[in-house]
Amino acid sequence: MTQRYGLVIDLERCIGCHTCTMACKVEHGIETGSGIRVETVGGPHPDTPAGTFPDLSMYYLPIPCMHCADPPCREACKAEAIVRREDGIVFVDESKCNGCGECLAACPYGALFYDEDRHAARKCDLCRERLDEGFEPFCAVCCPEEAIRIGDLNDRSGALIRAIKERKGYTLKPERKTGAAVYYLPPLPRRKA
Amino acid sequence: MSFGRPVRIGPGETVVRTVCPYGCGIGCGVLAHVKDGRLVKVEPGDFRGTGHICARGLSTPKLVYHPDRLKYPLRRVGGRGEGKWERISWDEALETVAGKLHKIGERHGKSSRAFVSTGVGALANLLTVGFAGASGGTFILPAGLGDSAGPCADQAMYGAFMWFGEDYSNRFDRPPAFCLVWGNNPAETEPFKWRRIREARGRGARLVVIDPRFTTTAAKADEWIPIRPGTDAALALGLMHVILERNLFDAAFLMRHTVAPFLVRADTGAFLREKDIAPTGSDKYMVWDAKTESPASFDSPHRVPAISGSYTVAGFDCRTAFQLLTELIAQYPPRRVSEITGVPAGTIVRLALDYASHRPAAIYRGMGCTRGSFHGDLSFRAINTLAALTGNVRTKAPPAHVYNMGAFFTHGVPSFVTLLQMYEAVAAGKPHPIKALWMTRHNLINQDPNFNRITRELLPKLELVVAVDMFMSTSARYADIVLPVCSHFECDDLIASIGSGSHEFMQLQQKVIEPLYESKSDLEIYAALARKMGIEGFLDKSVKEYLEILLASGHPSMAGITLDRLREGPMPPAPYDAPAYATPSGRIEFYVERLKPFGQELPVYLEPMESPLSPLAKRYPLTFSSTHPKYRLHSMFANVSWIREIDPEPVLNIHPADAEPRGIRDGHLVRVFNDRGEAVLKARVHQGIRPGLVNTGQGWSPEHYAKGTHQALTHETLNPAQAAIYEPNSAFYDTLVEVEPVKEALR
Repeated sequence: MTQRYGLVIDLERCIGCHTCTMACKVEHGIETGSGIRVETVGGPHPDTPAGTFPDLSMYYLPIPCMHCADPPCREACKAEAIVRREDGIVFVDESKCNGCGECLAACPYGALFYDEDRHAARKCDLCRERLDEGFEPFCAVCCPEEAIRIGDLNDRSGALIRAIKERKGYTLKPERKTGAAVYYLPPLPRRKA
Repeated sequence: MSFGRPVRIGPGETVVRTVCPYGCGIGCGVLAHVKDGRLVKVEPGDFRGTGHICARGLSTPKLVYHPDRLKYPLRRVGGRGEGKWERISWDEALETVAGKLHKIGERHGKSSRAFVSTGVGALANLLTVGFAGASGGTFILPAGLGDSAGPCADQAMYGAFMWFGEDYSNRFDRPPAFCLVWGNNPAETEPFKWRRIREARGRGARLVVIDPRFTTTAAKADEWIPIRPGTDAALALGLMHVILERNLFDAAFLMRHTVAPFLVRADTGAFLREKDIAPTGSDKYMVWDAKTESPASFDSPHRVPAISGSYTVAGFDCRTAFQLLTELIAQYPPRRVSEITGVPAGTIVRLALDYASHRPAAIYRGMGCTRGSFHGDLSFRAINTLAALTGNVRTKAPPAHVYNMGAFFTHGVPSFVTLLQMYEAVAAGKPHPIKALWMTRHNLINQDPNFNRITRELLPKLELVVAVDMFMSTSARYADIVLPVCSHFECDDLIASIGSGSHEFMQLQQKVIEPLYESKSDLEIYAALARKMGIEGFLDKSVKEYLEILLASGHPSMAGITLDRLREGPMPPAPYDAPAYATPSGRIEFYVERLKPFGQELPVYLEPMESPLSPLAKRYPLTFSSTHPKYRLHSMFANVSWIREIDPEPVLNIHPADAEPRGIRDGHLVRVFNDRGEAVLKARVHQGIRPGLVNTGQGWSPEHYAKGTHQALTHETLNPAQAAIYEPNSAFYDTLVEVEPVKEALR
């Protein structure tokens, strides 16, 4: 079987520092927006918790493109500007993109954004140019907690699949049946004294 | 050259390992990608198998090529702060400054010319101190800008300075089995250090976080204890109470490594010395030998020193230091501590047992303790004493690089004034007048306490204000002459390990691009000013020569460290022997003789100065803190668009229990105020903050607020006990305020 690129993001490790968001801007020269955003799972604002003082909880959720097996954005793109490679990478072919924004609305994860400077939809492409030359995506390189790992989801004995099994990794919005390739490892339970 | 991992280098790019030297204190190694003389990207540099960078570090090219960078020297043409400038040449700028410095020196004495700088780099620091010395001026010691209470405590107890570090209570020869993070938020402010805690937790250590705010670190913890701000010493005393009561203390450690058995004279509060009881005796400390029931010097053989008790020795009433500590601790049973700290008594008992039953157990203290109370040094001393009581203190000095500073003091040593003394020096001429203020890479007017006193009372008394900066900072706005300094990618420096606790490497900050516009390096600026002022033979060497001089200290820590090796990567200090505790006794001094005049010889608990229990709280019932944010380094990066996209504006964090009775609604403007000033910003109403406390992230400038600024609320009261040990600290969070809604019309 050919390889299928996927990400495992460890939510126990993620500290909400937005280094991944910035790394994406740096690597892809994105003035406004990023291929990966970081949401707070907690209160109504960034860095605020759920619950009632002092029983509170909060964690962070980095959201890149899920590199779906069956991408709703591709479905929605009439210009056929969204391409899914053999290895699972979904990317925007900016030469074909007419900036209509249908893909932004179609994505269940809000992973696409409109680049005003380039008049095109943009999104995470797993740093495909880097990958093709043997380098990891820049967000994974920069993450200070090494919370983002890339690997082959088709390798049943690979590190990604092992981590997903061990930590009960999950995908976002499974009910949408997108075949997301980004798995999240949930925060670990708190320890009692 | 090896970067320790595969690094993708674009066509036409060269990659240089340099360092991000800013004030978070971590000093991450970075790889700078340069193409056609332009910095195109930075990424994490190798730290011998690991690496680290943050969102700010990644955004530094935006800082370097920021459209607002100062491009040439400016002279003020309007009133101070009015924002009217004219471009002048470097020659004219330095001529003007030199002339004014000369005149001010003649009129008010040379020491009336004060210089201040902050920087992690050796050159960035030493050039300003050295120039102040060479010109006969004053250097303003900047640690009191929130950083000095920790060193006060550690100097008194360990004889060591650790800027942000807490190596003594958490770096042991094996990983900790229990982690207590106290008034500290490393997951947001020092992620490099946070890794060690996360890894310890991964190996099974429980993590408890004490903080009135539900920070990212608190969110990662097994237990969060939201303490009343500024009461940390009381909690530490309460924990010690439980530990003593249950006999969980480490008597052997106390006897061997602390002043526990030393006899203290009741009449003077000093340690009893041999010479006190024998005319020909030495300075040796005395203990009570339980075997012979007689006094003995602490190092006499075959003695069995008593750890506790009261004894009469040659007519002197004495108690052991541990006895005195025990009597202090006895006053802090969990129930009383619960009333002071707001932490339930059951939680205090559980935490004490948890901490005392694990070895090693680590404590990671932070500035929440030292900025959280006017007596922040006592908070740290009480915590240090807790660590010593259970033997959780390292018995080897943390290694550090000792470099050679001599070349910068060939023409004299400056007068020194601490940051908080500066206010009276400018306002009242004490201890001596300050009439000129030179700030290099130091946004004093934005970051120092009591903004309105600085701008309204101090600035009018200054005859010359010079700002050397990359941007038109708040300080530069109020200056007479503004000089453009280059970024850290445009000049070389040496970044030593600074005891941050993140890593211990020395690194080279390498010039990777030419200085932009007319900006100059610190060395070029000071050398040129020295020539203008007629200071001969000072700063006449090249930067490479100075770096080599810095390395040639001959200190064993520097063995094998050369410029060539540093160009390749970071270097740890070479191992060397140093006393674990450079205190007068060579032991951990939980009892500090020289603080007896202040009643602080033991780590007593004192209420914060602006306590919610004080009469002032009738008018200003809320405690206000301005903590380190994860998106700025003090005032740096607040102007970077990529950062502002994530963190757009200042907000006041306030609990619904405080917001609702005041009619404050989420997202609406509020006015935070006290007798000193005000700040108007948006309220962020949520559960993640202890009722009674309101908080904002520091580093915003007046231009970012609808009105006022957070530093208009803080105070500069000088703590004399801290001054007796080291530099007195700005207790930024020991501040009371009231908050009220603001009509949207103000926007």
